[in-house]
Amino acid sequence: MTALAQATLYGLLQGGLLALVAVGFSLVWGVMNIINVAQGAFVILGAYVAWELNAALGLDPFLGMFGAAAVLFVLGYVVQRGLINLIVNAPIYLTLLLTFGLDLMLVQGMNIAFTADFRSIPTSYAGKSIALGDVRVPLGRLLAFGVAVAVTLLLVAMVNRTRTGLSIMATGMDRGAARLMGIRARHVYALTFGLSAALAGMAGAMVGTVGTFNPAAAGGYTLLSFVVAVLGGLGNMYGALVGGLVIGLVEAWAGQYLSGTWVNAFAFLALIVVLVLRPSGLVGRAFYATRVEV
Amino acid sequence: MRLSTLLVITSACALALSGCGSKGAAQSDAGSDTLTLGAAVSLTGKLAREGGLTKEGYELCQSKVNAAGGVPVGGKKLKLDIQYQDDTSKPDTAAQLVEQFNDKDVKLILSSYGSANSEAQAAVVERNGQVMADSAGADNKIFEKGYRRTFAVLSPATEYLASIVKSIAELARPKPKTIAFVSADDGFSKTATEGGVAEAEKQGFTVLPPQYVPNGTSDVSSALTKLRGQRPDVILGSVHLVEGIAIVKQAHELGATPAGGFGESVAPPTPDFVKTLGSQAENVLGSSQWTETVKGQDKYFGTAQQYGKDIQATYNHRPEYHNAEATAACLALVLAAEKAGSTEPDKVRDALAGLDTESFFGRIKFDDTGKNVSKPMSVIQIQDGKAVTVWPTEAAESKFVWPGAKQ
Amino acid sequence: MGASSAEIRTPARTETATARPRARARWRRLLPWAAGVLVLLACFGLQTQLYTGQERTVTTIFMFVALAQAWNIIGGFAGYASFGQVVFFGIGGYSTAVVMYHLQLNFWLALVLSGLLAAAFGALIGLPLLRLKGHYFAIATLGVAEGMREVVNNVPGLTGGGAGISIPTVGPRASTPYLGNDGFYILFLLLAALAVLVGGLVSRSKFGLALRAINQDEDAAGSMGVNTTRVKVAAFTLSGFLVGLVGASYAFQQVTIFPERLFDVDITVLMVMMVVIGGSGTVLGPLLGAVGLQYVSEYLRQHYTDLHTFILGAIIIAAVVLVPQGVVTYAREATRTRDFSLLGNVRRYRL
Repeated sequence: MTALAQATLYGLLQGGLLALVAVGFSLVWGVMNIINVAQGAFVILGAYVAWELNAALGLDPFLGMFGAAAVLFVLGYVVQRGLINLIVNAPIYLTLLLTFGLDLMLVQGMNIAFTADFRSIPTSYAGKSIALGDVRVPLGRLLAFGVAVAVTLLLVAMVNRTRTGLSIMATGMDRGAARLMGIRARHVYALTFGLSAALAGMAGAMVGTVGTFNPAAAGGYTLLSFVVAVLGGLGNMYGALVGGLVIGLVEAWAGQYLSGTWVNAFAFLALIVVLVLRPSGLVGRAFYATRVEV
Repeated sequence: MRLSTLLVITSACALALSGCGSKGAAQSDAGSDTLTLGAAVSLTGKLAREGGLTKEGYELCQSKVNAAGGVPVGGKKLKLDIQYQDDTSKPDTAAQLVEQFNDKDVKLILSSYGSANSEAQAAVVERNGQVMADSAGADNKIFEKGYRRTFAVLSPATEYLASIVKSIAELARPKPKTIAFVSADDGFSKTATEGGVAEAEKQGFTVLPPQYVPNGTSDVSSALTKLRGQRPDVILGSVHLVEGIAIVKQAHELGATPAGGFGESVAPPTPDFVKTLGSQAENVLGSSQWTETVKGQDKYFGTAQQYGKDIQATYNHRPEYHNAEATAACLALVLAAEKAGSTEPDKVRDALAGLDTESFFGRIKFDDTGKNVSKPMSVIQIQDGKAVTVWPTEAAESKFVWPGAKQ
Repeated sequence: MGASSAEIRTPARTETATARPRARARWRRLLPWAAGVLVLLACFGLQTQLYTGQERTVTTIFMFVALAQAWNIIGGFAGYASFGQVVFFGIGGYSTAVVMYHLQLNFWLALVLSGLLAAAFGALIGLPLLRLKGHYFAIATLGVAEGMREVVNNVPGLTGGGAGISIPTVGPRASTPYLGNDGFYILFLLLAALAVLVGGLVSRSKFGLALRAINQDEDAAGSMGVNTTRVKVAAFTLSGFLVGLVGASYAFQQVTIFPERLFDVDITVLMVMMVVIGGSGTVLGPLLGAVGLQYVSEYLRQHYTDLHTFILGAIIIAAVVLVPQGVVTYAREATRTRDFSLLGNVRRYRL
């Protein structure tokens, strides 16, 4: 019983982190119909930025994540404004290829700049755990989970309450009408992509604190983003959170009752089942499948 | 339609024309005063880190041999030249690059990193009549296929965990009772686990059924949660760096740290292990193909300590065993060419088969399947943040510390 | 068109007036087939001129030509961009490896069996998955491919799991002698020719028309009497069959195969890239895309050992931005409209 409880807790905490990794991916796909294959590379880049800030200034990663977010925001804005905006009207899989090329460049760039060594951001507290009876709660992961939930709520609030957020939603619903209403679509798109990249950067700082990373890990995070985002419902912020938690739990439980190597298979099985039975995702609403919603 | 057909016809003619005249004499510019070796290494992809270390090892070999005047082959001194290609960490690319070396008449090959790549390369080497010195492919299965042209300087996979088990049996007091194995599911790790389990049973330990985790994962929590209930005295990991770090880190998080601590196959000797885990890495055992306390020396690299100093001076980091095994493979080919007095692949192959020499890497002598069984693996332990040799006791720098003794 | 104008002008001379244009039209229709045969012969001839290393490179090019053409059937013609096409590659490869290892079956039998197994799998998953549209279909197929890899990883008794499985090529258990570089060159060339042939036949048939109709407007196609489900599943199955054959041959060529290579998502991405950069929905596009991209990546890898991935990424970005409709489609439209401007492309597709 303890083992199950421990696995469940661990799975939930892991799921929160996965949600943060995937929320930007879901946002971009939902609003702009762009599949960002370089999402994993953004996450890892965020981890490196946070690592460098920690190494150079001694900055705690929970503060360094804001630095990572800022750097990634600028990168995302420039990439969208300068590159992806150029093929927005072309078939969807072209953006996929473009971001694939971007991913190649980023991963190899990081390989050259930072070498392929495995790194982790050391903190004095992330390795400790609190004991709740027989179940241990790792502190670092708990904090990362907290950040993920807080960020999701903030994002929802921003999208609902601020002008920028509303313009993002509007552009996502109907770009033409939004432009007619005076919204600068190019800027809004770039803003959305920048925001998505910033979220990925923050997630990267978290990843770097609770685990190890190197450039080759980028692909795994992209794949996870796919699964979590689609599972939850594209463009839906709560969906990303729900999707992440579900995947975290499925993997944890599968790991307990089967050999550890079946874990990934179950994650994908869950994805396919959800897609076939409820394509708009667990939380998404069918009619507004490609709309940003809360 | 006309444009496409025009395109097709022109490309067909171009194909046909490109064929004419490109074949003739083999494109070997080798001249007779260089000894050319071909090395397809993993410079990108998931093995990039180890591939980079392998390349450093080969490069150091080249510079040291050439500094000594070159390789004395049949009365002449040949300059050593190594040609590098990137196999992007994929076995089929590694194999293809060996074929391309064969086209350029480069018959003497230095292997890529890892058992998967080396195995793919060994198959090609065998077919083409080339010769390969294997620096990093330890899986015993490579040598069960009847290949006669691949020679591995490193100890085989089954030794990795078996040596740790032997050190525990010999030096750990009070002797632990139960050992649990956590293994990645790739071929090399599984073979190492088999070797470890066999040795543990031979030494009289109770062995729990091994837990398998996906190769390359950074989350081994499910395996650890299961083991926590079974309370092993020691957890041994047949894993690579990422899983290895995860085992120690997550065991501390989950409260699953066994009384006797951990032992792992590949991860602990690498500097990243200590850097990432900090104090949690203390007293973790590891097995290494080579440490700076290994006895033996040779005319190009001196002793193991001298080699370590050279790596530090050239590449500004402490030597890792991936450097050493690569240099040793290069050294083996160089000594074989010298012994054979020729660069002909068949003569070099026979010289390699009969090679028996001391070196900075230890003793290099191959059995008839091509494995180096005369060099023992070293067991290291992290003490005060440094990896020190603790077994075999003749080569030990420091006393074996048994975490289970502090009861 | 020449025939109708001739009829209007001189109705009495209909016979001879339309005979010449009809003959010319027939000749023009046959020209691509003739050109194809010419290319095929040229490739056979090329083999004698290549070294083994170059031969293996060209063999890989043929492999990707076959894969790109197969993807084009479901992704290009029908517009259902499948991102898990590599699942058929892996199923084909592993079927062959497993039956040759456990049952010592002859390779040629194994080849056909693998193709059929892959096709059957395509029909099986096509039914539920092809109900999904656009990006959902893409991700579902990706999930199937990744999931299949994990399944193969976890039945080591059958497939060897993460440790890989080796087809016996020497000794008493070997059922078919290893084909060697020359043999595989010819095998993959024939597979590529088969794929191009199938692609060409599909393109010019009613089946192809139905696929294109589905691509443009599925509901309209349905109301015109096209049985969209049957047509889509047929295309998916056919594509799967071809990819399965290629996977089986690849497994035999590699001798030892691992799940992460046979189900590598990079292979699907390469397939898609070749079709898109070449020109999707055409027969020539994937062919040129495969040859071009493989050649470029091989060249970069040999001459820019440290930076080749970086440069390849930049080239892909440039190609996608400047020629989003694919080189062949761009060339056709440009020569027809006499508008060669690449920036015009950009202006057309940008926000």
